[in-house]
Amino acid sequence: MRINTKSNFRGDARNFKKPCVLQSESLVALTRTLAFVSLIVFAGCGSHVPEFKDNELFIHRIEKESGGTLGTAREDVRACLNSMFGTPDNPKWPEALDVSWRLDMEKVSRAAGAVGRAQDGVERGLWRKHCATCHGISGDGAGPAAALQAPYPRDFRRRSFKFKSTPIGSRPTQADLVRTIENGIQGTAMPGFQSLTRNKFFEKDIDALVEYVMYLSIRGEVERKLLTQAGLELDDSERVFNASLGASDPRYESQQKRIQAVVSDVLQPWSLAETKVTPVSVILPDDLQSSIERGKQLFNSETTACASCHGPEGNGDGKSQDFDEWTKDWTIRAGIDPLKREEWKPLKKLGALKPVKNPPRNFDLGAFRGGSNPSDIYLRIVNGIEGTPMPAVAKQPENRQGLTESQIWDVVNFVLSLNDNAASNEEAK
Amino acid sequence: MANDTHLDLAANASSIKPPSPWVHRWAVALTTMTFPLIWVGGLVTTYDAGMAVPDWPNTFGYNLLLYPISTWLLGPFDLFVEHGHRLLGMVVGILAIGLVVASHLGESRRWAIVWSWFVLLAVIGQGVLGGMRVLMDERTMAMIHGCTGPIFFCMATATAVLTSQWWRDCPSSGKTRGVFSWLVLILGVAALCQLVIGAQLRHIQTWASPRSFVPLVHLHLTLAVVVTLLILWTGMATRSSSMKSVVGLRRPTGILMVLILVQLGLGVGTWISNYALPWPELTGWLARYTIAAKGWVESWIITGHQATGSLILAFSTVIIFRTFRQRRLEH
Repeated sequence: MRINTKSNFRGDARNFKKPCVLQSESLVALTRTLAFVSLIVFAGCGSHVPEFKDNELFIHRIEKESGGTLGTAREDVRACLNSMFGTPDNPKWPEALDVSWRLDMEKVSRAAGAVGRAQDGVERGLWRKHCATCHGISGDGAGPAAALQAPYPRDFRRRSFKFKSTPIGSRPTQADLVRTIENGIQGTAMPGFQSLTRNKFFEKDIDALVEYVMYLSIRGEVERKLLTQAGLELDDSERVFNASLGASDPRYESQQKRIQAVVSDVLQPWSLAETKVTPVSVILPDDLQSSIERGKQLFNSETTACASCHGPEGNGDGKSQDFDEWTKDWTIRAGIDPLKREEWKPLKKLGALKPVKNPPRNFDLGAFRGGSNPSDIYLRIVNGIEGTPMPAVAKQPENRQGLTESQIWDVVNFVLSLNDNAASNEEAK
Repeated sequence: MANDTHLDLAANASSIKPPSPWVHRWAVALTTMTFPLIWVGGLVTTYDAGMAVPDWPNTFGYNLLLYPISTWLLGPFDLFVEHGHRLLGMVVGILAIGLVVASHLGESRRWAIVWSWFVLLAVIGQGVLGGMRVLMDERTMAMIHGCTGPIFFCMATATAVLTSQWWRDCPSSGKTRGVFSWLVLILGVAALCQLVIGAQLRHIQTWASPRSFVPLVHLHLTLAVVVTLLILWTGMATRSSSMKSVVGLRRPTGILMVLILVQLGLGVGTWISNYALPWPELTGWLARYTIAAKGWVESWIITGHQATGSLILAFSTVIIFRTFRQRRLEH
């Protein structure tokens, strides 16, 4: 039976007890006054209204590429984003633009804002309650606790997601995001939120969080594209966004068209995500041991090149180790060597976290961050892991030199045979 | 000579009207009930339940005591925790009133009666701070509330010590060293600072940057080492031959040594429950471990770390008061 939270907290109670009429208004007024004074005394300021942070590292990269500063264009981009997407407390959707695909803004609004339950009994501020300490208020992966984690929390503004059922370059499906939030990621600071799913009062929270992750990712990608336009594509006389232009102004139409194109460009891959899902057809081997042997040969072959990173025995001790794309985005792409401290350190004040290499997985441990099911391993091999040095394997028939379906399952069986986690082995069998 | 002074003071103390045991009983009850209040307050922070009830002093429009028990017990856990915290706060408030009454009826020391009023004012202030956090919907207020909670716990503990028979009789015949007094004082201050820093970490604003958070973590870890060393030193000092005859310090320092071991374990657990280890591939178990958000075990480890911190502060308070009582008698 569904329990209506509103009636549960308030209405049901009225059936047997009338709410107390004593509102203690004077006590409340006195307390508010004391609170205000205390905040001034202890915290030195009043309430802070949270805002989305500018993508400082990307701005730095654009400015380095263009050889100049963005100047007022930064404010134009910020104003444009605020007019389309609102603020962390009041998120919006670019309704004024011609977009057919949209997020569920009711869910987005529930995930946004300050943490708490209003008088209607509905809990809000889910993002700040569960995610923002690590992923940041803007979804930039630079929340206050981010620097303590390995790997760092994901920056959603690059629109890259690691663990998904779609190929590199495609967006994840909602089910992919639900799964990551629900199950968490082994061996990392990303917790699993199954406690929400199992609780009748919170079972819809993950859906709201997924919508909010997509909202932040879309907003962040639009920001990057607008900044690129402002810094590298538009003439000095053009502005990426001018809020004072009237509809009759000839510049207004071109401005709207440009923004429309950017937003549509960002939204289209999201709208197509469900159509990009890689089908998984399990091929059970006649003889598991033979399959594992064949998988080992393929693992160490040049065709797959798995051993170059994961090592011949899959211990993660291969010669090739690299940074992930989130790090390269503000280092190598901006002409900064992530191995040279003197080059990246000045960018810490812009929010940069110390560059850390992305170690290949050690299969001996039986920890598969994208999931331990054979189908999960299959998807990681076939689709690669976006944003990391893990590429998608060449596959037939698209690539005649690639692996057949059966060979891919041989590799899956070999990988699963390496770990000491009996449960996974049993599952593989 | 010192022994003579001690005997004189003891004689003076015993010549005063014999105190009612009820003052101490109320003080112990107050201290005992404050610990679960602090624990549940920690759960409020762990579950981010500070705004689970949007109004104050009422709960969803109901008087605190009239909020339907079935709705409270069967509702969401964050609401259960927040409303429970308020009810426990009320119980502690009633005990503080009882302490004032008991002090007026059974306490002959004027300063102790005045002190009981301070305790009552402190608990009222702490309740109002909690109310401010809700009415202002302000996380900074929650942080202040989280810092003042352990201070109130200290006050309650101090009351229990000040009203005890031990305080009146002070049966010790040994001598405490001057440096010992200073170090236990530093221990108390360091334990309090740890709780204040911990409250800052737990109530960090989500829009803060790692550049403000990480130094706090480093400070917390450094002070943990300082507190651990101080506790081990006080524990060993009270067991040394020079302080062998000092009575009343060995047990609390022994408890502190056990508590700090528990606390260090909980600290490591809290780190793993929040951030995982930076080298998770140390073992297969760590590599495969997935943190459960708001999980039962994780939440109790994190909350236990905070509550044990308060307990360490409370026992430090006992040691400080007893040490200075002895020193006063020695001089």
